[in-house]
Amino acid sequence: MTAVTEGDRSPALRVRSLTKAYSGVLALDGLDLDVRAGEVHALLGGNGSGKSTAIKILAGVVTAEPGGVIEAGGQQARSDQWSPSAAHAAGLRFVHQQPAVFPALTIAENLALGAGFPTGPGGRIRWSVLHKRTAELLAEYHIPASPRTPLGALRAVDRSRVAIIRALQDRDEAGHGVLVLDEPTAALPGPEVEQLLDALRAYAAAGQTIMYVSHRLDEALSVADRVTVLRDGRKVATVSTAGLTESALIELIVGRPIDRLFPEVSQDAHDEGALSLRGVHGGPLHGVDLSVRKGEVLGIAGLLGSGRSELLRMIFGAYPMLAGSLAIDGQAYRPTSPSAAMDLGIAYVPEDRQADALFHAASVRHNLSAGQDGHYFRHLLFRHGAERRDSARSISEFLIRAQSDRQPVQTLSGGNQQKVVLARWLRQRPRLLLLDEPTQGVDVAARSEIYQLVRRATAAGSSVLLVASEMEELAHVCDRVAVLKGGRIAAVVEQPLDAHQLTDLVNTSEAAA
Amino acid sequence: MTPDTTDSGAALSVPAAEQAPGAAPAGPAAAARPGAGAVVLRLFQKYSLVVLLGLSVAIYGIFGKNPAIFLGAADIRNILSSQAVLVVLTLGLIIPMTSGSLDLSIGNIAGLCSVATAAFYAHAHVPLFLGIILGILVGALFGLGNGLLVVLLRVDSFIITLGTASAIFGLVIWYTNGQSIVLGIPQALLTFGGGNFLGIPDSVYVVAGFALLAWYVLEQTPYGRSLHAIGSNKAAARLVGIRVERSVFLAFIVSGASAGLAGVLLLASSGAGNPQIGQSFTLTAVAAAFLGAASFKVGQLNVLGSIVAILFLSVNITGLTFLGVQDWINQLFTGAALVVAIAFSTALHRERKHRARPAPQEPASRP
Repeated sequence: MTAVTEGDRSPALRVRSLTKAYSGVLALDGLDLDVRAGEVHALLGGNGSGKSTAIKILAGVVTAEPGGVIEAGGQQARSDQWSPSAAHAAGLRFVHQQPAVFPALTIAENLALGAGFPTGPGGRIRWSVLHKRTAELLAEYHIPASPRTPLGALRAVDRSRVAIIRALQDRDEAGHGVLVLDEPTAALPGPEVEQLLDALRAYAAAGQTIMYVSHRLDEALSVADRVTVLRDGRKVATVSTAGLTESALIELIVGRPIDRLFPEVSQDAHDEGALSLRGVHGGPLHGVDLSVRKGEVLGIAGLLGSGRSELLRMIFGAYPMLAGSLAIDGQAYRPTSPSAAMDLGIAYVPEDRQADALFHAASVRHNLSAGQDGHYFRHLLFRHGAERRDSARSISEFLIRAQSDRQPVQTLSGGNQQKVVLARWLRQRPRLLLLDEPTQGVDVAARSEIYQLVRRATAAGSSVLLVASEMEELAHVCDRVAVLKGGRIAAVVEQPLDAHQLTDLVNTSEAAA
Repeated sequence: MTPDTTDSGAALSVPAAEQAPGAAPAGPAAAARPGAGAVVLRLFQKYSLVVLLGLSVAIYGIFGKNPAIFLGAADIRNILSSQAVLVVLTLGLIIPMTSGSLDLSIGNIAGLCSVATAAFYAHAHVPLFLGIILGILVGALFGLGNGLLVVLLRVDSFIITLGTASAIFGLVIWYTNGQSIVLGIPQALLTFGGGNFLGIPDSVYVVAGFALLAWYVLEQTPYGRSLHAIGSNKAAARLVGIRVERSVFLAFIVSGASAGLAGVLLLASSGAGNPQIGQSFTLTAVAAAFLGAASFKVGQLNVLGSIVAILFLSVNITGLTFLGVQDWINQLFTGAALVVAIAFSTALHRERKHRARPAPQEPASRP
């Protein structure tokens, strides 16, 4: 992609023995990385592989352990002394997944917030200079818009491109430094993804070094010159994309060979299940057909933004369903509100327990009975004794480790907080339990306990719909897994389940599937 | 303001000092166990306002020019009687505040209701009890209007009620031409303010009954628990099946009706439907609610704390007036108390949040 032959130029970014531990757990373990000048280098890996940690260290936001070296733009520093200003001076520029742009401001203002406003006497902003400068940049990067256009009026892909321009504008020469893009396409609608990739190719052709972090393997393969794969905090390999297949890449990411590329897809959606969905539309979902059998754990595998969380919320009546039909135990059901869903025995554990599930300063007891206080109110009296007995029982039954049920829930560990949320629902013996990433931020021991509790609930007759990012987890826990892609169920996989098979199904582009 | 209310005043909590320190501490939870120093600190926080109240009474009693008169005025019965309007307003206010909403129109609603009740007696010659009930209903009606605006427009209640407060005041001035309604008010209502039973002023019974009701609603009913939940985490409250909009709407009706009752009490004690005096109560009620959240159930709006806060404000203002300070001390002291109370509860919340962070979790790892 560049005229420069390999080896006659020092790497744009060289990293040696980069290590980071979070409370004793190695998130990144001795990473060595070379990004050649002028190449597009993709950084790939599954959840918890250390990608994000590596990017945060390079940006200077997170400090690495001592003992490593970071070298970029002619600057060299010890890994524990790298800082945001050092990264900036070395020519590293970062554009994050949700770039911090201001939709209500004009393009010119958005760019000036990065580089500063040109000012005249008395601190007055010289708008003509700013608009001229912006117009030149827009022309240079082929964005068909006026400097005075509010950023919010642009398409998502152009907003991303403006964010990239803002990151690059104060650099003199393209060959210096590295542009680091963290999942730049994750927030883009499908048709605009290719346009952003085209823009990246054009920047690279102009000599810009790009480091590209993504989980979309097809994109990485089409845009990158080389890829570095991380797994469990360690570098697996750095390979050229020439001749690299998607399945070979998945094998590197998952760590095991793939038996079968495309398993037999079994579609079943009959109406006698505990829950059946037909042609469900709304948000990112475009016609989901699915049936959950009684007493099973049905996993939903899908990428971030695939609509997996929206699907659960929709069933719980917390996200608008535009079209389609649902049935619970054969009875037609129209989700309207969480309380209506609860009346039918549906329970929902949201993905973000801090924001959506916990009442932080409230006691464990009150968190357990939240939303069910009505059960304790009889003859105008609140039965505190009954509530106390129930919470004591729940604490032992659901393996919650707390000193007392009067302890504020925010003082518990992540795993125990999640068990409180789970217990809140499981004690009601739900017919259908919707779980969104129930083990996020939970340690390994609590994780297995949580699934033990889920299994106990299915043994008692509950059906479970489980969303999880980790394919290992889905394969291990679920009876069946449905793959959600492009707003539809692309496949339903039966036991025996296999993590890399799922990874493969989830990551392959729709055209291939 | 409203998010702030959620953060500082209305956050649900159980004071750590009440925790049973026994039980085998397990895992990371042990880190949060309060030491002896922390327990003392919590006790001090819990009762600091009571201590300050006692100190204030002692200081004014000893150093005042006329201790006997001051101590007579500082008699809890006299204060509760003279502050009946404020107590009812404040306890009505903490209902929406618990759910994270603020009602800044209560003072003006009370003023409007005192005028409206006076007008019912003077112009429609309604019987005594019908007048009282109509006064409360008018308050509830305006509360309903506030609730509808807040819930339907989904705008910050602070701004909405700031607007309706001014509009209500305008309405009252338009109706009365700025004149008080003095004639035609039943004698029974007027003597109520001065009467007493078993040596306790009649209005104290009203206040005590109302306080009991407010405590019952907030602490002993599922509805009160829903309000606490909404104030603590609105999104989570919705996802446990609480009807958030309905609960908040109802809370505004309750605060409006309480303001209606306060208006009737205002009419009884002042003897006239005065269009001017209602709005001065709003800020004092807000200050008392926040001060109250700094005692007893620390960090949580509560009935007992609010009443102690009103006593504290009233004793100090009366005391300073007895020391010869002019009327401006009222506004100055109330305003300062509000600022101090909010600063205190925000700091407390921040510190608690800081200390209560659970043991480090696994690094967030999203692809």
